[in-house]
Amino acid sequence: MDWSAYTSHLDMRSASVIDWSMRAAGCTTTTAKTLVLGLGNPILTDDGVGVQVAEAVATRLPLDSPVDCIEVSVGGLMLMEAILGYERVILIDALYPATQPGRIHRMTLADLRAMSVTEHSNSPHDAGLITALDMAQRMGLPLPAEITIYAVEVENIIDFGDTMTAAVAAAVPRVTEAVLAELFQSEVRSPKSVIRNPKSVIRNP
Amino acid sequence: MKRITIDPITRLEGHGKIEIFLDDAGDVANAYFQVPELRGFERFCVGRPAEEMPRITNRICGVCPEAHHMAATKALDNLFQVEPPVVTKKIREMFYSAFYVTDHTTHFYALGGPDFVVGPDAPPAERNILGVVRKVGVDIGKQVIDTRMRNHHVIKMVGGRSVHPVAGLPGGWSKAISEEERREIEVIANQNIEFALFSLKIFEDIVLGNPEYMELVLSDAYTDRTYSMGMVDAQNRVNFYDGMIRVVDPEGQEFVKYHPRDYAQHIAEHVEPWTYLKFPYLKNVGWKGFVDGKDSGVYFATPLSRLNAADGMATPRAQEAYEKMYETLGGKKINGRYQPVHQRLATHWARLIELLYAAERMMELITDPEITDPNVRAPVTATPTEGIGCVEAPRGTLTHHYQTDERGILTKVNLVVGTTNNYAPMSMSIKKAASALIKRGTVISNGLLNRVEMAFRSYDPCLSCATHSLPGQMPLEVVIYDAERQEVERLSQYTSQCGT
Repeated sequence: MDWSAYTSHLDMRSASVIDWSMRAAGCTTTTAKTLVLGLGNPILTDDGVGVQVAEAVATRLPLDSPVDCIEVSVGGLMLMEAILGYERVILIDALYPATQPGRIHRMTLADLRAMSVTEHSNSPHDAGLITALDMAQRMGLPLPAEITIYAVEVENIIDFGDTMTAAVAAAVPRVTEAVLAELFQSEVRSPKSVIRNPKSVIRNP
Repeated sequence: MKRITIDPITRLEGHGKIEIFLDDAGDVANAYFQVPELRGFERFCVGRPAEEMPRITNRICGVCPEAHHMAATKALDNLFQVEPPVVTKKIREMFYSAFYVTDHTTHFYALGGPDFVVGPDAPPAERNILGVVRKVGVDIGKQVIDTRMRNHHVIKMVGGRSVHPVAGLPGGWSKAISEEERREIEVIANQNIEFALFSLKIFEDIVLGNPEYMELVLSDAYTDRTYSMGMVDAQNRVNFYDGMIRVVDPEGQEFVKYHPRDYAQHIAEHVEPWTYLKFPYLKNVGWKGFVDGKDSGVYFATPLSRLNAADGMATPRAQEAYEKMYETLGGKKINGRYQPVHQRLATHWARLIELLYAAERMMELITDPEITDPNVRAPVTATPTEGIGCVEAPRGTLTHHYQTDERGILTKVNLVVGTTNNYAPMSMSIKKAASALIKRGTVISNGLLNRVEMAFRSYDPCLSCATHSLPGQMPLEVVIYDAERQEVERLSQYTSQCGT
């Protein structure tokens, strides 16, 4: 099938996706920005852990910080779109089922690829995160150079509620500190409970 | 007995599962589509102020927060007995049209489309949006992402927040549209119309131009003759935001047309021991089991059923596309209206017609001279007791029903969500496809199971709010059991695409 007929049918504004993403990220062409993104449903008990961490990080940053903090509960495509235009992204999400609720994993996309998916990157209404990122890369969209994922093992994502279980709630300050340490690019002294892969920061080719 | 289960990644709970039981001869004896249950949504809401519901319910799920926001906002109009200004209704519907454009676009290119564009028997790793991009080219992929992003931009601008909007108020909308915003949205609406026409052309060329696909679409394996439900305007044309609920019988005669507030007089729920989710059916026809036909109260509520239930589309190009679909699929006109199309795979076509309608409707509304009127709120004075709000969500009719005390504190909450409407017909479609495709001696391949999944995928099911399940996800696994109930096959939909 000759698809060139289709592409000529439309005004292919090839640069507009990049425009949208730069605009959404609030970027000018020269600034490199960082995004802290809490992923999860804040009213589904432990699923809100990512949201709680993103909010805690936001309150600790100076008002003029170049770091954006947002929280969403979406699948892969929307997640991919949300991070376009940023230089560096830190995602925080829940991981289920848990071997030890409250345990924190610091991961990269390579780790994610190896272990299949986090809770939110898998949906029949969306592409998985890895698929969405592969697609964005293929299309030459402005993906972050660096994506780091903090995944917290959670206990209850079945009951509606806005209070986390104790072990998961206790993990919030620890993840918050780890994210802040990473943001300030100081020596990362991760709490002992953070399982850290030495190769954990990957760079997109 | 042999048992087949379509199941998601096993480490997840809260997933949907299709189990297929084979008899001694190796034919399909039964097929069950099971979904999990999340608990305590009503308990979570009771005791909270009703006006928080547009912001609470849009957290139920990451797939259609805008639909919940809108149904909740309309339920508040009704609860506080306040009629929103005309401009407010137009803003809401314009906003809602932008949401429809993103949602239907995603389904066609990322979910339903890959079965046709990449092929129903392609490996699962290819049968996704990345596979579509590989097949049709990077430029079209960019169009898809661009369409999603520019409409999400409208949703954020008009709804006050990205993804989870906040602007809905009883009798109002929290902000008006400025002339500058109006001009920007007009450009976007125009791009949406172009994109919708382009998507329809792709569908027509790929599917209608391919005899093998047409055979699949028209085959008995994917045909169920049930009642059709959809919201219609005063002229019986499709409307997503407001109107009456119309139900037509399998021959296309109007069975009933009722105000959404009267839903409980028309819809009842059947319970089965093997699943938490209930099966809504037409109360005045009755539950006769998982069977189709005029005597069975099973109905469906999808893009296809909405087109079946209406007499046509309210915008010109969508009306042309509508006529083309009914003419092509052999619907005869009786008493001035087309007979329903029952081939469930035609839902993908209907969805694209709705995409075009949403784009055209968005254009009509944003070029309405009244749309920038700043008076977007009506005062609330009545004492609340009970409110019902209803919209067509992309996946079916969505109803929110609240009861409160005199302070507006919630005492009872009931949601009838889009996908729930389709639980019975989906279960029937899965069984029918499985029975037609899995026969004695059939080698059960991944491609074959995908064809079973296609029956279910046409409904674009989202069980995350149907069961109040994990936000925006409902991975799937198929497991097959033999006559001795031994598992013989287990295939996961996402395993390969996720790289495990």
